[in-house]
Amino acid sequence: MRSRWTPPPRAVRRDVVLRLAVRTFSEVCLTAGTLIVLFVAYVLLWTGVKADRAMDGEMARMRDRWAAAPAAAPAGPAPTPAPTPAAPQQPTPPPQTGPPAQERPGYPPGRAFAEMYVPRFGTDWNKPVLEGTAAEVLKKGLGHYEGTARLGGTGNFSVAGHRRTYGDPFKDFPELRPGDAVILKDATAWYTYTVRSEPLRTVPTDIGVVDPVPPRSPFTGPGRYLTLTTCDPEWGHSHRLVVWAELTQTRTVAQGRPEGLPS
Amino acid sequence: MYGWIWRHLPGNAWVRAVISLVLVLGVVFVLFQYVFPWAEPLLPFNDVTVDEGSGATP
Repeated sequence: MRSRWTPPPRAVRRDVVLRLAVRTFSEVCLTAGTLIVLFVAYVLLWTGVKADRAMDGEMARMRDRWAAAPAAAPAGPAPTPAPTPAAPQQPTPPPQTGPPAQERPGYPPGRAFAEMYVPRFGTDWNKPVLEGTAAEVLKKGLGHYEGTARLGGTGNFSVAGHRRTYGDPFKDFPELRPGDAVILKDATAWYTYTVRSEPLRTVPTDIGVVDPVPPRSPFTGPGRYLTLTTCDPEWGHSHRLVVWAELTQTRTVAQGRPEGLPS
Repeated sequence: MYGWIWRHLPGNAWVRAVISLVLVLGVVFVLFQYVFPWAEPLLPFNDVTVDEGSGATP
């Protein structure tokens, strides 16, 4: 079927040109508007769907690994550092305040090695913690800063997470208060950290917050600390929110879930 | 633009409508699968870590 629109052979009249211009312009506007709406839907909804799926996958794979080799990742409730020949950094004695302590070789990068529970964020709030803080890693869970302490170890076990998008894991971050529990579990043990500070607003370059003894924290000497970081404001990136906690309890998996954690 | 596409689709109005729908779904798929994941890191929601290069590492 021939189109009826074919321009008259005589001449392209001015009103035809004008009509074409107006139509093209409105089509471009409509397209741009639709693109923006789609992109907002992607950022607000679809990244959450993707992240939930990825976190579930990470969690399932980690539990499979734990079930397959429960002793493969021995936890460090004992204060003795285990120097290994392959350690990338020199093993440091527990009481020290220098650069990030590393008691054992790091976790495999990009892989989940622990799960985190924060009762303040909801009884069903439960996210995997992966090694590394690259953007790709943070799409699949919370990220453990490479080079900071191991879970339960002396130093500062530091974790970053999205406040918005990708499942909004740290959406309620400003609600954290001193006394709140941050509970982590690895293959062999439960670690209960107790929050010791109000959320602190700082600048993105303030890398001291993940130091073994962070300068502005309530801590004065070496210890087993936890740092959580996320972005601030909620949808921006000009600042960071930081919360510090301290290890208050360690239980083996056999001893069961720690109190304060609804089963 | 859309009129041009419509006129160049084969078949009658129903066939064209179905082809259009498939085209729209295809475009949305490409956007969600490739274009938006590329564009999304340009927005500030990824910066949740403290680091030396302010905002450089998401």
